[in-house]
Amino acid sequence: MSNQLQTNTVKKGLTVKDLIIMGVFAALLTVCSMIGGIFFAITPTLTFYFSIGAALLPGPVFLLLLAKVPKRGALAIIGTIVAVLSLVLGMHWAMGLGGLIGSLLADMVAGTKKYRSKKMNILAYIVYSFGPTGTYFAYFIDPQTWASTMLKKGTTEDYINAMNNTADWRVLVIMIVGTILVAWLSGFIGSKLLKKQFEKAGIIA
Amino acid sequence: MTVTIEKKKQFIRFDPRTKIILLVLSMIVATTTPSLLYECVLILLIAGFGSVCGKVRYSLIGSAVFMALYLSTVFYLENSTGTMHTMFTAWLSLVFKVYPGGMLAGIAVSTTRVNEFLSAMNKAHISRKIIIPLAVMLRYIPTIREDWRYIKDAMRLRDVSPSIIGLFTHPGMTVECLYSPLLMAASKAADELAIASVTRGIENPKPRTCLIQIRFRIQDVLIILCFLAVPVASLCC
Repeated sequence: MSNQLQTNTVKKGLTVKDLIIMGVFAALLTVCSMIGGIFFAITPTLTFYFSIGAALLPGPVFLLLLAKVPKRGALAIIGTIVAVLSLVLGMHWAMGLGGLIGSLLADMVAGTKKYRSKKMNILAYIVYSFGPTGTYFAYFIDPQTWASTMLKKGTTEDYINAMNNTADWRVLVIMIVGTILVAWLSGFIGSKLLKKQFEKAGIIA
Repeated sequence: MTVTIEKKKQFIRFDPRTKIILLVLSMIVATTTPSLLYECVLILLIAGFGSVCGKVRYSLIGSAVFMALYLSTVFYLENSTGTMHTMFTAWLSLVFKVYPGGMLAGIAVSTTRVNEFLSAMNKAHISRKIIIPLAVMLRYIPTIREDWRYIKDAMRLRDVSPSIIGLFTHPGMTVECLYSPLLMAASKAADELAIASVTRGIENPKPRTCLIQIRFRIQDVLIILCFLAVPVASLCC
């Protein structure tokens, strides 16, 4: 308790204001990636490209969040919350784990330049976008176990077969390169947007 | 205002921790279930829980939609083959995996007020750095949908098309007109929420108090036992 008091008075750690901003932006991030990704997620032949669709929209939100809360731990906490939520809503465990690892790494990447460098922030966004690919990496590492857990989860054999037909190394390459490109594009548009709209309006100090 | 809320909620009140336990249990059932029959039982339980909480209409609609999906799966998909069959099976299996959790989460979020949730989480000894963003996030998601409607209306007023076609013909304009108000509204809302909650003493390092007694009661134990019966049954049989 005394520890909390100290951090509040020194204003070094995450303040309550930061925590609330993080909550609002976590909601925006989730909704954006769902809108972008839902179409990919439910189609068997496109399901591997879910991360590409999910990376398309949240870029500007992510960059504005980093501009408003440039502190260590912000991304990690958002990653934890989103992972817990996706677990509760019945996603595969690797997606939650991937999201957690992705956000931790993104936190580190952006932290190297104190969350101020635009290039590093965009790079952090690219790293963060790889979170949802956790499921598919789990698949590529061990297809056998994957099929069994997914079958137990209620995914039918046909779905797994359709996925098996589309899944080879080319797909993995397209997934990785596509995610990097789309995330970079989204981050690039985001940084332009922030410069044009938000810096002038004084939202970002 | 509080009086009207109390009157509306003369039904049984549950501990927010119970709701989280129920969510975890239904997640386990939805992920490990061997047949859809157990999920039907689960949906019935959830509907019962919802009506006890005072969400009768929501529970009825939710279980009716589930029953329609279930019946269409049993009667239609068993007999058909081909690509459409694969597509539908894939889609339906995803729905069946997410549906119970989503329905229960809807009931839990709409019947729990933020103050109850916060003090229950405090009692469960979870760090405030996790609790506060989580509570804010759950409350903000419906607001995004509202904002989105207003933004669409505003775009139509200024002759910017908020559809996919507009995105292709004027990409820069559409993107700007979508993101700027959305993000502005979000950062304004965050600032106002922060000021409001600091004024109400959220930074107070003393343990929280709450007017409503948060503790496990007999109804909590009963409902948890009911929900626990489903995974146990599916494991034994």
